[in-house]
Amino acid sequence: MATGLLKGLGVTFQEMFRPKVTTKYPDEPYVFPNRLRGIQKLYVEKCIVCHQCANICPTQCITIKEKPKTDPAQKKKELAVFDINFEICILCDLCTEVCPTEAIVMTSNVELAETSRADLHKDLPWLEANNTNVREVNKP
Amino acid sequence: MATLRTEELVLNVGPQHPSTHGVFRLIVTLDGETIVDARPVIGYLHRGTEKLAEDLTYTQIIPYTDRMDYLSAMIGNYALVHAVETLMGLEIPERAEYLRVIAMELNRIASHLVWFGTYLLDLGAITPFLYAFREREKILQLFAEISGARLTYSYMRIGGVKWDVPDEGWLGRVERFVDDFERALEEFHTLVTGNEIVQARLKGIGRIDRETAIAYGLTGVNLRSTGVAYDVRKAKPYSIYDRFEFEVPVRTEGDLWARYLLRLEEMEQSRRIVKQAVRQFPSGGEIMARMPKLIRPPAGEVYTSVESPRGELGVYIVSEGKPQPYRIHFRRPSFVNLQILPRLLIGENVANMIAILGSIDIVLGEVDA
Amino acid sequence: MPAALGAVVLLLVVLGLVTFAVYVHRKLLGWMQGRHGPTHTGPYGLLQTIADTVKLLQKEDVIPAQVDRPLFRLAPIIAFAPSFVVLAVIPFAPGLTFADVGVGLLFYLAVASVTTLGVIAGGWAANNKWSLIGALRSAAQMVSYEVPLALSALAVVLMAGSLNLNAIVEAQARSVWFVIPQALGFVIFLIAALAELNRTPFDLTEAESELVAGYLTEYSGVRFAFFMLGEYVYLFAMGALIATLYFGGWLPPHPALAFVPGIVWFLIKALFFAVLPFWLQATFPRARVDQLMGLAWKGLIPLAMVNLVLTAALKTWL
Ligand code: SF4
Ligand code: SF4
Repeated sequence: MATGLLKGLGVTFQEMFRPKVTTKYPDEPYVFPNRLRGIQKLYVEKCIVCHQCANICPTQCITIKEKPKTDPAQKKKELAVFDINFEICILCDLCTEVCPTEAIVMTSNVELAETSRADLHKDLPWLEANNTNVREVNKP
Repeated sequence: MATLRTEELVLNVGPQHPSTHGVFRLIVTLDGETIVDARPVIGYLHRGTEKLAEDLTYTQIIPYTDRMDYLSAMIGNYALVHAVETLMGLEIPERAEYLRVIAMELNRIASHLVWFGTYLLDLGAITPFLYAFREREKILQLFAEISGARLTYSYMRIGGVKWDVPDEGWLGRVERFVDDFERALEEFHTLVTGNEIVQARLKGIGRIDRETAIAYGLTGVNLRSTGVAYDVRKAKPYSIYDRFEFEVPVRTEGDLWARYLLRLEEMEQSRRIVKQAVRQFPSGGEIMARMPKLIRPPAGEVYTSVESPRGELGVYIVSEGKPQPYRIHFRRPSFVNLQILPRLLIGENVANMIAILGSIDIVLGEVDA
Repeated sequence: MPAALGAVVLLLVVLGLVTFAVYVHRKLLGWMQGRHGPTHTGPYGLLQTIADTVKLLQKEDVIPAQVDRPLFRLAPIIAFAPSFVVLAVIPFAPGLTFADVGVGLLFYLAVASVTTLGVIAGGWAANNKWSLIGALRSAAQMVSYEVPLALSALAVVLMAGSLNLNAIVEAQARSVWFVIPQALGFVIFLIAALAELNRTPFDLTEAESELVAGYLTEYSGVRFAFFMLGEYVYLFAMGALIATLYFGGWLPPHPALAFVPGIVWFLIKALFFAVLPFWLQATFPRARVDQLMGLAWKGLIPLAMVNLVLTAALKTWL
């Protein structure tokens, strides 16, 4: 009558001797697959300030401003401000997908926890400095 | 003898309650142990997806579909791109279709695994949950490798898929997973299905009959447990489902036990589909159809539906030929299926309340959208 | 004076055992679920329980506004104190019983049922519907299962001819361990004991998925710790009682093994039965409340009666 119960006990008993599946995060870093969509890395000099990333972003979390040209003969546009608001960025990959020059690319860094909301507004220097774990396909 | 006067007890279940699977609130009125009234309160997770989508291009809506039924984002993605593709009359490359089917069926398994684990947690068994998540973790790893996300995949694009397989070995790993998964399913059956306590708690409870199920517009397992063999994959085949051999499991009892067994059986069927898809996988080819830079479907309207783990997930689009839809509506199976809850609960013993709620298998992200 | 000293020693030993039991509980559950269990605090996570206790003690003492304050404060103590008191009558080794009461078994059963009062008081005082339902369920359950528990224990008393736990062990030294003639009684006792302890599959009182946390819903910090402490002490006490009644207490399995001190045998047996519920918890879901009552009144009690009559017959004619 109670065979099902006993068989169940057998299953849990055997499990004790199987290898464990949990990892030792955060003692040991957890390596994500290379494609993982994490925090973006920005290559400032590559950006042509075309605003495509800001336009495609479904949550409108990218703010871009162009630097006023010092020399009127200068062709290339330069970035003055490039902010991503990680309070609302959903890491959807669309911005990096549309960027024509691969100026903005994904890294697989995901640790974004901060103690204040303001810290989640990442600016140009921060995004430029975030250059670990960049996707292989986007490596310059 | 004068009868003892008893008072009805109004009990507020949720929105913070361990077993409402998200932010769902249920106001039940009890007479002793019997439920005399049950009023679901929804909307705690309402984000206005449909209204937001009217200001977004079709590509931009894809990430929003991830967040409706977040347990089966692949299928949510597909439902949207499939509707747009139908409206545009696109031909999808074969390789992309295979990748889509593999992704969707793995996602169906992952979604049912979450259901299985949390449902048993509702019933008070803690271990099946961890076993289920152990298996699901393998799927999420495969998904993270191919799409770059563990939950909100945004993997499908209008006209194809975003990524090809990440490396040569990926398909092999998928196949290894589906082979190993057979053993896991067996383990679930030994640990849970055979357990007499589980059977005693599920058999004969929460009965839905065929007519009621149809009248309430139930779909998915909730409908199939009442003896109606309706599965969109068979009834209105989409993608390349007509190329695979699989069955639509049906039972006639209509109770919790039937729904439990059907979901386990569906995992087995999905396993079969993935296996066939991996075997037939084309060796080369494109993963994206030729697409204009800005997607502008022709003016008109379209309704398509797909079989999500929870039932028929429909997408209705009215287009004016602009990059944004004029109106988009999602027929969310969780929302429709939830409507039967008060009817199932009234008259039941309160001890069955959580078991019945869990068996409908709702995802609050989808109920509220 | 030595009696008081003995009590303090007992208290400390039991506290140590409880710390250990919580650790074993979490480790075992972890292993059975493919996890490691606690690993972080101290070597192999051994200090985890202590860290948790310290955390609980540090917590703000929250008393919700609408509760019945005196009762709310008193309930954890009522629930916890008996768990220690019952340990007094358990014979740990030959001559090592803290209070060799003549009616030891009766004393155990009687004092243990006081805990139910603490649970009801806590659930009632909290002035929360979940607590109330949890407490009422628990009262119903504990009262129902005390009957088969006592009835099956009574059969043991018939066999041994005494209510004194020491005498019961000695009776087993003369014949065999009572689990053999009392196999049916043992199964009934085990099931009823699980229900008494509110362990899976009978953990309805704190059925997390249904009742939030049952009678514990409004408790936190120290008071919560008291309830938990009581529960784990009972776990050990019940293991000790099972070992005493059915597995010969401090007796070695074979006279040839008598060189191992009795206390070791006793602890092995008692701890085994204290740990067994964890394994069940890792495997089983929860039974439904009405099925539970059905099992007690329609299943266990008649069976226990039959067992009692059979034992009496055995005693009379053999
Ligand atoms: S990842 Fe998505 S949400 Fe985030 S900045 Fe890029 S487009 Fe916007
Ligand atoms: S899409 Fe690329 S190039 Fe254009 S503004 Fe954004 S980052 Fe710069």
